[in-house]
Amino acid sequence: MAKVVLTNLTKRWGDFVGVDNQSLEIHDKEFLVLLGPSGCGKTTTMRMIAGLEDPTAGEIRIGDRVVNDALPKDRDIAMVFQNYGLYPHMTIYDNIAYPLKVRGTPKPEIEPRVQKAAEQVELTEFLHRKPKALSGGQRQRVALARAIVRHPQVFLMDEPLSNLDAKLRVSMRAELKHLSHMLQVTTVYVTHDQIEAMTLADRVAVMKNGRIQQLGTPDEIYNDPANLFVAGFIGSPAMNLIEGRIENGVFVTQGGFAVTKVEAPNRSGLVLGVRPEDLTIVEPGTGDFDVPVYAFENTGESVQITGQFNRQRVIAKGDRYLKREIEEMTGMSVDQKHLYLFDQSSGERIRN
Amino acid sequence: MRDRHLKYLLVLPAVIVVFATAIWPLVESLRLSFYEGRLSRPAFPQSFLGVENYTWAFLEEPAFWNSVWVTATYTFWTVLLTTLLALGLALLLAPGGRLRVTVQSLLIIPFAMSPALIGVSFRFMFNPEFGLFDAFFGIVFPPLATISWLSDPTLAFWVCIMADVWGWIPFLTLVLIGGLASIPRDTIEAAQVDGASGWRVLKDVTLPQLVPVLAVVLILKAIFSLKTFDQVYMLTNGGPGTATQTLSHYVYFNGLKYSQIGYSAAVAWLMVIPMIFLTYAYAKFVFQKK
Repeated sequence: MAKVVLTNLTKRWGDFVGVDNQSLEIHDKEFLVLLGPSGCGKTTTMRMIAGLEDPTAGEIRIGDRVVNDALPKDRDIAMVFQNYGLYPHMTIYDNIAYPLKVRGTPKPEIEPRVQKAAEQVELTEFLHRKPKALSGGQRQRVALARAIVRHPQVFLMDEPLSNLDAKLRVSMRAELKHLSHMLQVTTVYVTHDQIEAMTLADRVAVMKNGRIQQLGTPDEIYNDPANLFVAGFIGSPAMNLIEGRIENGVFVTQGGFAVTKVEAPNRSGLVLGVRPEDLTIVEPGTGDFDVPVYAFENTGESVQITGQFNRQRVIAKGDRYLKREIEEMTGMSVDQKHLYLFDQSSGERIRN
Repeated sequence: MRDRHLKYLLVLPAVIVVFATAIWPLVESLRLSFYEGRLSRPAFPQSFLGVENYTWAFLEEPAFWNSVWVTATYTFWTVLLTTLLALGLALLLAPGGRLRVTVQSLLIIPFAMSPALIGVSFRFMFNPEFGLFDAFFGIVFPPLATISWLSDPTLAFWVCIMADVWGWIPFLTLVLIGGLASIPRDTIEAAQVDGASGWRVLKDVTLPQLVPVLAVVLILKAIFSLKTFDQVYMLTNGGPGTATQTLSHYVYFNGLKYSQIGYSAAVAWLMVIPMIFLTYAYAKFVFQKK
């Protein structure tokens, strides 16, 4: 068990900056998720921790040891790859046993440890098959078993669920959560799926352009976003972001449309953020504003109503028995406690 | 005309060409191998010998067995050395990068030369009076400078092997680079993280996944080595004596120098037997279902 400390870590390929002078401390036994769109540097960061990529500058510590110059095999880590990285010519048993064999674990010890790892991921009946004969979910379990069969200081997981179909992904996510709770090993997990990040993480680091935009618990990331990017990236459907200005305590958007009261001094060049679930659908004339319905979607557990004024659309989540017709006027009421103001040009959060 | 007949008409020219240039000569050579078939006599009537040409090769001709032995050892060493060196080069060049890609392109040059040209070049380079090698050894290691490479049976044999290996390394290297590129990087990185040293990654993960490509390379090279003719013809012409006389060379000599077409057709058909096995194995590896 160990913490992982990255100090001023940078990765450049020519002019392209993959990871930009990033520092990060991952606590002992913490489950940290690196979340971001593709090309944001999250996988590169993980590969540098693994030793599969050399940093251009900066320092990586695992435990108390600087590992910049250590080979991957000497870092005492285990990694789960997006495409599983199973050895196709070996049986599942040999796949799981490989990290033990190659590190010179005494033979009598290997068998019970492989059995135990296989039990933990419910694979015992497949040990004599080859990876080709398994389904995607089973292969991912083999990759997991291969990671947990040794007791490494750090687990690295590179989008381990992204090749699985949606239903399997949800059940594997729960298994992963359970497993990580049982094992209590420092884990770095890379994903572009915000649900995975929210559900699995102790802390989430939201990345963009090689920089961490915000580091915090899932709660903080969701309820207290540091900037426009984080606000827009987390949440589904995404947070409504409305450009406009504050005039005499009212947020006004394009065309002079008054959205809601805001207790803040006059200022222009703003973006107002409201999550769909913080917009309540009400009868016309009784809420903060009225809009014609642009689209009505029923997801079963709730309904989503998209309203449009001028070129601005807003999405509100409503009770599943609610009904609205397209082009019908509806009222929307804003939860004043959950409003976010951002500076339009810098994207930074304005706190009042 | 119906479309389903049209397709046969469209392939007909190709079928005719293949028949005229491959099938018919093959059948005709098989027929010839049972006749005396001397070019120095009138074409008809030729006396039918049955399997006598074959038994003659097996029982009465030490030169046949010599060329079998030469071809077998030549094939063994060229296949072994070319594959090993090509594998080494492929492993060095596979990671890519500007320098490596440049070297990969330069590598084509030996392969672009015809084997006959390679033979002539090496003959010049090993010439004891004005050859490159003896001049080179004259400066670096004088005791080797006086060696007449192509006059010594053993040395001439190894010069042939060297020239062949030199000419074939590039192609096999490129094939193996292709094979290495098709190995999922995940598996190699997984092995590195799992704790394998560079050598063990190669032994446990890279090579086992390269086996199908390696097999193709081995078989292909064996086929080409077995039928070596032009290079040896230009380099040593089978000599000194018969020290470097491969089977193809033996077939050529008996057929066209000594005019024993029937006999040489029989020997050529004996060569076909190992070729059939190798071609079958090759087809199996190349067309196997993933």
